[in-house]
Amino acid sequence: MNSRSGRTRGAGTPGRTVVTGMGIVAPNGIGAEAFWKATESGDSVLARVTRQGCEHLPLRVAGEVRDFDPGTLVEERFLVQTDRFSHYALAAADMALEDARLGRADYEDDPYSVGVVTAAGSGGGEFGQRELQRLWGQGPRYVGPYQSIAWFYAASTGQVSIRRGFKGPCGVVCGDEAGGLDAFAHAARAIRQGSRAMLAGATEAPLAPYSVVCQLGYEGLSTAEDPERAYRPFTDKACGFVPAEGGAMFVVEDEAAAGRRGATVRAVLAGHAATFTGPGRWEESAEGLAHAIRGALREADCAPEEIDVVFADAFGSPEADAAEARAISEALGSHGSKVPVTAPKTGTGRAYCAAATLDVAAAVLALEHGVVPPTPNVFEVCHDLDVVTGDARACGPRTALVLSRGQMGSNSALVIRKGSDSPA
Amino acid sequence: MSERLTMEELAALMKTAGITVDPTELASRPDSQFDDYGLDSLGLLGIVGELENRRGRALPSNADRCKSPGEFLDLVNSSLMTGA
Amino acid sequence: MTRRRVAVTGVGVVAPGGIGARAFWDLLSNGRTATRGITLFDPAGFRSRIAAEVDFDPAAHGFDEDGAARADRYIQFALVAAREAVADAGLELGGDDAWRTGVSLGTAVGGTTRLEHDYTAVSQEGSWWDVDHRLASPYLHRAFTPATLASAVAEQTGARGPVQTVSTGCTSGLDAIGYAVHSIQEGRMDVCIAGASDSPVSPITVACFDAIKATSANNDDPAHASRPFDANRDGFVLGEGGAVLVLEELEHARARGATVYCEIGGYATFGNAHHMTGLTAEGLEMARAIETALGQAQVNAGDIDYVNAHGSGTKQNDRHETAAVKRVLRDHAYKTPMTSIKSMVGHSLGAIGAIELAACVLAMTHHVVPPTANYETPDPECDLDYVPRTAREHTLRSVLSVGSGFGGFQSAVVMTRPKEVRA
Repeated sequence: MNSRSGRTRGAGTPGRTVVTGMGIVAPNGIGAEAFWKATESGDSVLARVTRQGCEHLPLRVAGEVRDFDPGTLVEERFLVQTDRFSHYALAAADMALEDARLGRADYEDDPYSVGVVTAAGSGGGEFGQRELQRLWGQGPRYVGPYQSIAWFYAASTGQVSIRRGFKGPCGVVCGDEAGGLDAFAHAARAIRQGSRAMLAGATEAPLAPYSVVCQLGYEGLSTAEDPERAYRPFTDKACGFVPAEGGAMFVVEDEAAAGRRGATVRAVLAGHAATFTGPGRWEESAEGLAHAIRGALREADCAPEEIDVVFADAFGSPEADAAEARAISEALGSHGSKVPVTAPKTGTGRAYCAAATLDVAAAVLALEHGVVPPTPNVFEVCHDLDVVTGDARACGPRTALVLSRGQMGSNSALVIRKGSDSPA
Repeated sequence: MSERLTMEELAALMKTAGITVDPTELASRPDSQFDDYGLDSLGLLGIVGELENRRGRALPSNADRCKSPGEFLDLVNSSLMTGA
Repeated sequence: MTRRRVAVTGVGVVAPGGIGARAFWDLLSNGRTATRGITLFDPAGFRSRIAAEVDFDPAAHGFDEDGAARADRYIQFALVAAREAVADAGLELGGDDAWRTGVSLGTAVGGTTRLEHDYTAVSQEGSWWDVDHRLASPYLHRAFTPATLASAVAEQTGARGPVQTVSTGCTSGLDAIGYAVHSIQEGRMDVCIAGASDSPVSPITVACFDAIKATSANNDDPAHASRPFDANRDGFVLGEGGAVLVLEELEHARARGATVYCEIGGYATFGNAHHMTGLTAEGLEMARAIETALGQAQVNAGDIDYVNAHGSGTKQNDRHETAAVKRVLRDHAYKTPMTSIKSMVGHSLGAIGAIELAACVLAMTHHVVPPTANYETPDPECDLDYVPRTAREHTLRSVLSVGSGFGGFQSAVVMTRPKEVRA
């Protein structure tokens, strides 16, 4: 991601990808401010599932987005033709653009210079279930015209691009959880190839009845009853992960382009790498994740000791947690047992592709505030890791490593540097 | 004979496509374009499909290409009245 | 430093009317159509009751009962195509090579066929919103996650580098291959198993295209229903299938003595920011994608020997891309054959881009342009040389393939077969 060539003094580095805006729709808060307040104080919002039609299913606890009123944020004609996962994306994209102060005037001279890339792992399941019910319950003629554009994974990218007039490269990574980080890699490549800015991120809405049924076969899905005990990675009580919805969208921008329009650089996406070691083979995933971490560090030109905080994948099963601890240790050496490790997602749940984007949001905010947020509900860590539990730690981190692994066997690592550590 | 389509019903149908419009406004300006109200081709296809289900009969194949509420009402109602 | 070049060293295809590259090419080069009345479910009551289906017997391709249950139909297609492509390339993965090998596969609708099948069970055929999980099949989660596609193929081939599933609607195949090309060019991998697969012939997908009248309702004459660029076209015919290419950094391919079919030098995609399903008459965004891909490949518009069209057979699409191609190729467009294989194998949504690129590789190898089947009546708005019904011998050095997808995606890929490359 970090292009060293063609450096322009005083105007930022062309081809270097920076974060200039964030929009967040999370179970613990809508908007960066509310999200950070809850994340920093370690509030857990995991609770019993209340979504209509889900109450009787064996999934008891989830991270639901509450207090989200799409009607106040997005025009009705966009809402009727999209699923909840796109509602989140449209709202989060707006917030990110506003945060970045990127308006039409900035790109109307060249709409091809701004693109959109999202990751999507569950699609428009609630919308799809409604139309399936019409088809099977009433007949083919009762399927509405928006089924063709609401259920599929590309819906959010397409709608964001249309609503805001972005004609740049548009992409969709249908990853497992690690796809959330891969979306940033796609955005960074588009910027290396000449795009000025990309809307990048992921939002998910897997908490609809049939979508939940589909997830019941996932390895590691926690069906525990008690919200405080359902998702406790890195402890000997680890019993899987809790799913969630929501996500985050970012304006990532060519540093030179951001400099020209006087945008504030919130963080630098310095390096990324991804590997594959197969579903459920955690032994091998340790090697694969370590490989990805080393690749991301290499691209970021970053020594292991420079990593000040690790945002862990925190899958939540004993084997997966052990593999992650080993990967951190292998890739960071002796620094691996000293570096603060955190997993704020234990307080919000794991929103599949979007989980990693919320981790990136938390990482950017942690670097800005100089504070590592804690890992809610986790105490008594049983691995050789310095997991930040209880209270946030004000240790002034300047470089963060975000990790993500997926159900289907992907391992992904992203290095993020503090904005002001990156002289323009 | 089927029930005629009124501007009230059309306005309610447009609402399902996310377009909020006052039926009296539709009636007073029947020649203004669906486009100007923000109703796109998919929205009109949805309205035609819903009407066909409600009336239990097919509408002319060009119904989803009408450009304005007035044109649409005329076409739909002449079809419903003649039983075509 | 010169940019790394990307070679195609293996091809695998599972298409309607032909499993395997040889059978696929036989269908195309003879201009046969594989469109027919739907047999995969009873289409009574649907507006469009036709499709291009693959006659696929899982057992004949090595899937036992559990293997077939774990891998949805679209994944079986991809696994079979990948096996053929990897064998064709003579690729053997091991050691550090595995970390340098990625997988990039596209799908538009992924496991929706299985999702729909299980939905009918857990909802008692649409009776309940509160579905009963006890009636679901054991591998349903694998259908729910589109990432299963690339994961399954990576497991089969032993790839351990970046593995991703791409889903950009009907440009998924072009985009998955395009991302792979860029990743190899940038040095993030040396080899990529790239392609796409879809098996969308199920009631919900047929119904959703019925609802917007995107598909042909020419149910009385299925073999001639897919009529791209013809004045009497009335929509696309749904298809299914998969195709996989082995992409390889050129020197890597040469070092191991692999046969190089051709190179992929350019890829670009843009959004039209216009409408989720609508296309403009001008095709500016597709033209931009074509220009950008040509620039990357360092190919002049006037040197394009063949345009493999999206050519879905909807009124608006064929007009749109004819305009886009003319905008870039100008007078040369009228001298350049431009054909749509969807006339023969239908429109398999996300898969078709990869199937079309496989067709381009084979066309370049044989120096034969596959025809546009069923083309009879010219449309004044589509006035290029669509090679009606019969394949044509034509020297092919540089080929352009384009695609459009719901969501506004407009993609273009440029392939070249330099003189020094021998198949």
